[in-house]
Amino acid sequence: MENRESIPCVELRNLVKRFPGVTAVDHVSLKVEKGKVFSLLGPSGCGKTTALRIIAGLETMDEGDVLIDGKVINDVPAYKRDCSIVFQTLALFPHMTVEANVSYGLEQRKVPKDEIRKRIGEMVDLMGLGGMEKRRPSQLSGGQQQRVALARSLILSPKVLLLDEPLASLDRKLRKGMQVELKRIQREVGITFLYVTHDQKEALSLSDTIAVMDKGKLEQVGTPEEIYETPRTKRVADFIGASNIFPGKVTASGNGKVQLETEGGLRVIALEDKDIRSEEVTGISVHPELVEILPEGTGLEGDNRFKGRIVEMIYQGDFIETKICLDQTGGLITSYLSSRLNRETQFSPGEEVLVRWSPESSNILLG
Amino acid sequence: MPRGACPERHEILRYAQNDTKRRARNDKGMFFGSFQTAFRIVGEMPGNLREKIRKYLAKQAHLPSVGPVSIWTILFVIAPLGFILYFSFLTAGDFGRILPIFTLENYQALARPVVAEVFLRTLLFSLATTMICLLLGYPLAYFIVMYGGRWRIHLLLLVILPEWTSYLIRLYAIRMLSGRAGLINSALLSLGLISSPLGILYNPSAVVLTLVYGWLPLMVLPVYASLVGLNPSLLEASADLGATPFRRFFTVTLPLTKGGILAGIILVFIPCIGDWLVPLLMGGTKTFMAGNLVYLHFISAANIPAGSTIGVALTAIVLIIMYLCIKAGGKEATERII
Amino acid sequence: MKSLTGKTLLAIATLTYLFMWVPTIILIVFSFSNDKLGIRWEGFTLKWYAEIFNNAAVRNALEMSLIIAIITIVVSTVAGTVTAYGLYKYKFRGKEVIRMSLLLPIVMPYIVTAGALLIFFTRVVDIPLGYPSILIAHISFSTPLAVFIVLGRMQRIDWSLEEASMDLGAGRLTTWRRITLPLLMPAVIASAVLIFPWSFSDFTITFFVAGVGNTTLPIYVYSALRWGETAAVNAIGAIFVALPLIGLLLINFLQKKRVI
Repeated sequence: MENRESIPCVELRNLVKRFPGVTAVDHVSLKVEKGKVFSLLGPSGCGKTTALRIIAGLETMDEGDVLIDGKVINDVPAYKRDCSIVFQTLALFPHMTVEANVSYGLEQRKVPKDEIRKRIGEMVDLMGLGGMEKRRPSQLSGGQQQRVALARSLILSPKVLLLDEPLASLDRKLRKGMQVELKRIQREVGITFLYVTHDQKEALSLSDTIAVMDKGKLEQVGTPEEIYETPRTKRVADFIGASNIFPGKVTASGNGKVQLETEGGLRVIALEDKDIRSEEVTGISVHPELVEILPEGTGLEGDNRFKGRIVEMIYQGDFIETKICLDQTGGLITSYLSSRLNRETQFSPGEEVLVRWSPESSNILLG
Repeated sequence: MPRGACPERHEILRYAQNDTKRRARNDKGMFFGSFQTAFRIVGEMPGNLREKIRKYLAKQAHLPSVGPVSIWTILFVIAPLGFILYFSFLTAGDFGRILPIFTLENYQALARPVVAEVFLRTLLFSLATTMICLLLGYPLAYFIVMYGGRWRIHLLLLVILPEWTSYLIRLYAIRMLSGRAGLINSALLSLGLISSPLGILYNPSAVVLTLVYGWLPLMVLPVYASLVGLNPSLLEASADLGATPFRRFFTVTLPLTKGGILAGIILVFIPCIGDWLVPLLMGGTKTFMAGNLVYLHFISAANIPAGSTIGVALTAIVLIIMYLCIKAGGKEATERII
Repeated sequence: MKSLTGKTLLAIATLTYLFMWVPTIILIVFSFSNDKLGIRWEGFTLKWYAEIFNNAAVRNALEMSLIIAIITIVVSTVAGTVTAYGLYKYKFRGKEVIRMSLLLPIVMPYIVTAGALLIFFTRVVDIPLGYPSILIAHISFSTPLAVFIVLGRMQRIDWSLEEASMDLGAGRLTTWRRITLPLLMPAVIASAVLIFPWSFSDFTITFFVAGVGNTTLPIYVYSALRWGETAAVNAIGAIFVALPLIGLLLINFLQKKRVI
């Protein structure tokens, strides 16, 4: 007997959507837990917005099912679905006041006027929009317009709130502020958020679960920690910033460790994972911040130590993005060298150095 | 009834009873009843047939919106034009009758000196008018856009307003001014500067000038539109790269406003070749244009085939001009109607 | 105006404006003159304007012109908007053909459409000459105008507004009524503003298809000119000029009162 709580708020089963010449959504299946923030993360054109629009009812699917609260809603038209979407362009009605915009959905449901007024009051407080009810969208700032769009959708208490890159048009500082706001609102209201973005930092900070998509396919689903620290495919690793990727095959194992030989001939050591069969491993990835740079003279004994030469150092403020060319393969490794550390060690381009990382830092890739 | 379940007899009976009751309740008369039936039939169809019908109907979704006007256009725009094409090949009978005898003599008549002269004159007048309109209209539009500032819209409206008043009235105003019995003449006469009224109007240049007066606004509009749409940073870039204002105009502004110029040419040339009021009100038969021939054949002489032929000839000229302009400027020229 | 170019352009512009307006202005001035022929100044009078309202023929012609213009506007804007919507939103075969053929009435010289319609109404189908024929002709010309103006506006609208409306629970009809139509209003009004003067003052096409005894205001002016009764014509002409002006001022006023 299925527990009511465990019915996913939104479920996609084998969703397929094709456009002429491209499959935008390619057999995507996922479950969105109630009351949590679920992000669809991926580069532009990976199909995440299309999937969102299918859930909202603005596009039809070619195959597969969309379920909300356990019920299939494939044929339900958009205006009858119990979900609400916040568009990237916000789509605030320019010829209506803030009040009229926010009450629009309630009017469609024939909610009585005093009830509407009460709910608008609550929503205005929640969103911090006091005093702006009579203004028109064009008279509001970017951040205020954001909040109106959110209010308009939230006031309907939808089963799930769909957000299509809502912060994309805001500048950096405003975006960070709005991210915090969004999280606070979600906690307070408790509604399930389904969030689409191409910004991995945003996804990492906002989400309870992240699903990474690329070219229409679902690459990996997991918590932010899982996605960041153990990306499972090359695409996810690359997208999430684990930019040191070594394709290779397992050649030896033992002592809780496995050894991979990369295409370039490097021997890389990683920790063994009991749940993964050696044949499935296609390589490893390492986050740049986990790659240490040591002076040339340091010994080569130990796991994952390689000699190389610094070819580029790009100052990034709190760290220096350093690219090292490995002697053995000629390939490049990226390391984030702490600026504070570099004040002591004074590395410079052209210098011969040693790079190393621990076996725990090696992340096994499966695809 | 649950799908796929094998029904028992009493279940079938009960279903039929309920079904009839339901239908009786829902029956709102034959009209709605037939809809109900249709929906029910559709509802009970096997799934993929219903899907096919839905997809077919979706493909026809444009019909309710585009359909009515399309039908209207076929009936009242294309058909009439088709018919004058048809009639141009028939023979004229007495009392305005059209005899169903195929003939090419109407087209041959176009070559007769009298007719050819009129056509030539029409084309010449129209060409001259278009040229002058371009030479006057472009600077005017340029002035409004570049120097108009706050008054741009007002200045533009000042140009457009005449277009919205009656063409007839405007022509009459010219005649009132310059006609034999007009203002200028009576003033000059009363001042004793001339002894008999001047025939200011009854010559080709007067006709051309009047045509310019009549159609200039239509040249200004599209040129204005394309000038307004110019990206000012293009001109700035050109200046930054060292071009003099003179050069800037000919290498950047002019080519980029080509669309507006072509649209203006179309909007002036075409009404000109069909204009029959200017010769009628201003001049005598000596300045007759093709439009007057149409009037003569259709109204005065009731010679439908002959009139149709002139109409076809004019349409052909219009199509040729439009084709040339589209070739020269691309589709945007045709879209600049307002 | 500083530069030489500026001064030259100003000169050309001024001359052109004068060229276009002087005849009309003189006509208006002389509509106040007490001269039967309306070309000499014989003292100020308003009697020609009075005559317009007293003269039954003029009143009837004015009435006919107004009725036709109003019906044309209503039908053409509605039909034009609906068609523009279909043309913009849907993809289908023959779309380009329809667009091109909608262009036809606007581009054809009036005399050709006038003649073609006359023949069509009298020789091919039996449509009575008078209100029916005139209305058909005017609507055939005005609807394409409305289509293209509304179409132009549609290309600048943010259509996710319609999607937002539906997502918030409004059905197709409600969305159309509360969102789409208000957004299209400026274009609809613009087409009405363009159609009215055209329909009201059209002569050629109306003259050909009006038949005997049906007189619109321009037709009345034509006959008056033919028969030499020109004094009243000045006054009527002034009205023709005043009408669009009043219309424009009205639009301006309305725009200030409510937001687009």
